[in-house]
Amino acid sequence: MSRLLGVMLGVLTAIGGFVDIGDLVASALVGARFGLGLAWALLLGLVGICLFAEMSGRVAAVTGRATFDLVRERLGPRAGLANLAASVLVTTLTLTAEVGGVALAFELATSVNRLLWVPLVVVLVWAVIWRVRFSVMENLFGLLGLCLVAFAVALWQLHPDWSALWQQLSAPSVQEGEGRPTYFYYAIALFGAAMTPYEVFFFSSGGVEDRWTRKDLLTERVNVFLGFPLGGLLSLSIMAVAAVVFLPANVQVDRLSQTVLPVALTLGKVGLAVVLVGVFAATFGAALETALSAGYSVAQYFGWQWGKYVRPREAARFHVVVMAALLAALLLLMTTADPVKVTEYSLVFSAMALPLTYLPILVIANDPDYMGDQVNDRLSNLLGSAVLVVIVVASLAAVPLMVLTKAGQ
Amino acid sequence: MTPSSDDIEPTAGSTVDAGLHLLDRQVCDREGRLLCKVDDLELQEAPGEPPAVVAILVGPPALGRRLGGAVGRLVCGVHHRMVSRPDKGPLRIPFTAVRRFRSSVELSVTAEELELGELEAWLRVHLVARIPGADHAAG
Repeated sequence: MSRLLGVMLGVLTAIGGFVDIGDLVASALVGARFGLGLAWALLLGLVGICLFAEMSGRVAAVTGRATFDLVRERLGPRAGLANLAASVLVTTLTLTAEVGGVALAFELATSVNRLLWVPLVVVLVWAVIWRVRFSVMENLFGLLGLCLVAFAVALWQLHPDWSALWQQLSAPSVQEGEGRPTYFYYAIALFGAAMTPYEVFFFSSGGVEDRWTRKDLLTERVNVFLGFPLGGLLSLSIMAVAAVVFLPANVQVDRLSQTVLPVALTLGKVGLAVVLVGVFAATFGAALETALSAGYSVAQYFGWQWGKYVRPREAARFHVVVMAALLAALLLLMTTADPVKVTEYSLVFSAMALPLTYLPILVIANDPDYMGDQVNDRLSNLLGSAVLVVIVVASLAAVPLMVLTKAGQ
Repeated sequence: MTPSSDDIEPTAGSTVDAGLHLLDRQVCDREGRLLCKVDDLELQEAPGEPPAVVAILVGPPALGRRLGGAVGRLVCGVHHRMVSRPDKGPLRIPFTAVRRFRSSVELSVTAEELELGELEAWLRVHLVARIPGADHAAG
């Protein structure tokens, strides 16, 4: 019984934890410009993250090795270091965006400028990492993140033309007045939002923190294959409400306040309050995950002691890296950089860094020396390889498209 | 040797693919604490025999050598300036201290018996241990 509760808790956490600032920004922005015409990119990214998160979690459960251990081992020190540099850069940029998102949620709730909230948020994130138990941290923010269901309720209340939405989803086409390069630029942004590398760093390292063993493989799989797709549905409903409210009115979405506006329109003040709690939980939870991921990846590359399961004084270097990432995020935000813009750039840069992270996971998940009888089955390999091809194409196309479209303008 | 999921005991005279089974793997101490990576290996060559692994080499000097190029020189150079005894070279963990290796290399000694982690010690004393709560694992 307690096992069933544990599995359910994991699923709920995965649903709430799936959405972060990248999804909040990219899904609403794309929904307002392209309707559901780009939902396929989100769904493709969802398939990809499910496959690779499951592999990385399985490796962690069977061997106790997290993702960046594998990166160093299979890519060697040189390519591993290049990947480390890129990953830490992208993860810190994502952390910056998440902290900015939390500050924006506070600003929306209190009308106090976000710049005043940023230092407080940074200190709060650090304090939670320093003191709060890993499982409590994971479950609390995941469950609060379920408040984002308000987007799905709002979609229902908007009484949209479901067949028109289905039409956009099933027969995607480039909107009039939008060029093909812009269309694919945003496809990459959505794909990147779903497959951000910190998700596998955190998922696999979290498995080690939770002391997963082979016995936990069922929990791990249910979390991924039930929780992530349901979380993806939240992302899809953010896109859909933007498509219903903003697309006909031709409104450009470039602020977080616009993302939550459809909920306020349909569900009133209470709906707005609930969705702001959801936005806070989603961004704060992701800020914790990205700050920890910066520490995880550096410590795992160099072999240092890491993790919240040991006393901080025994993992001094790990905690210093986490603090340094938070400090960098603080400084960047205090330059008055726009969190939404930071998010957009972090998504495209993360798309660039994807192949070097996901290839080693696929290789190790097939290594009987490591995995014994838990190596990948054929279906995982077939789908994993197919997604990897998409990842390589997206990473190669990301920068040229960014230049060509002037970052989607 | 054929790969298997079983533990590999480092018995004298057995052969392994050191590049695949040793290099860049995680090193843990007797109590399971994470120590370092296998940054490089010290080999001993005798005529007519395959080279034998005698020690695991650890730290920026060993890693820098394997990185090579400008980055490698930078890693070695920074390390040279930062440590108290720069001419000591990389740390050596004699291969006799290895208990077994699988997804990680497990030692039969504890972290304290090896003089590892000058940076860790410095950061602990000067920064991390001074923050309240550093002695309690959050779990």
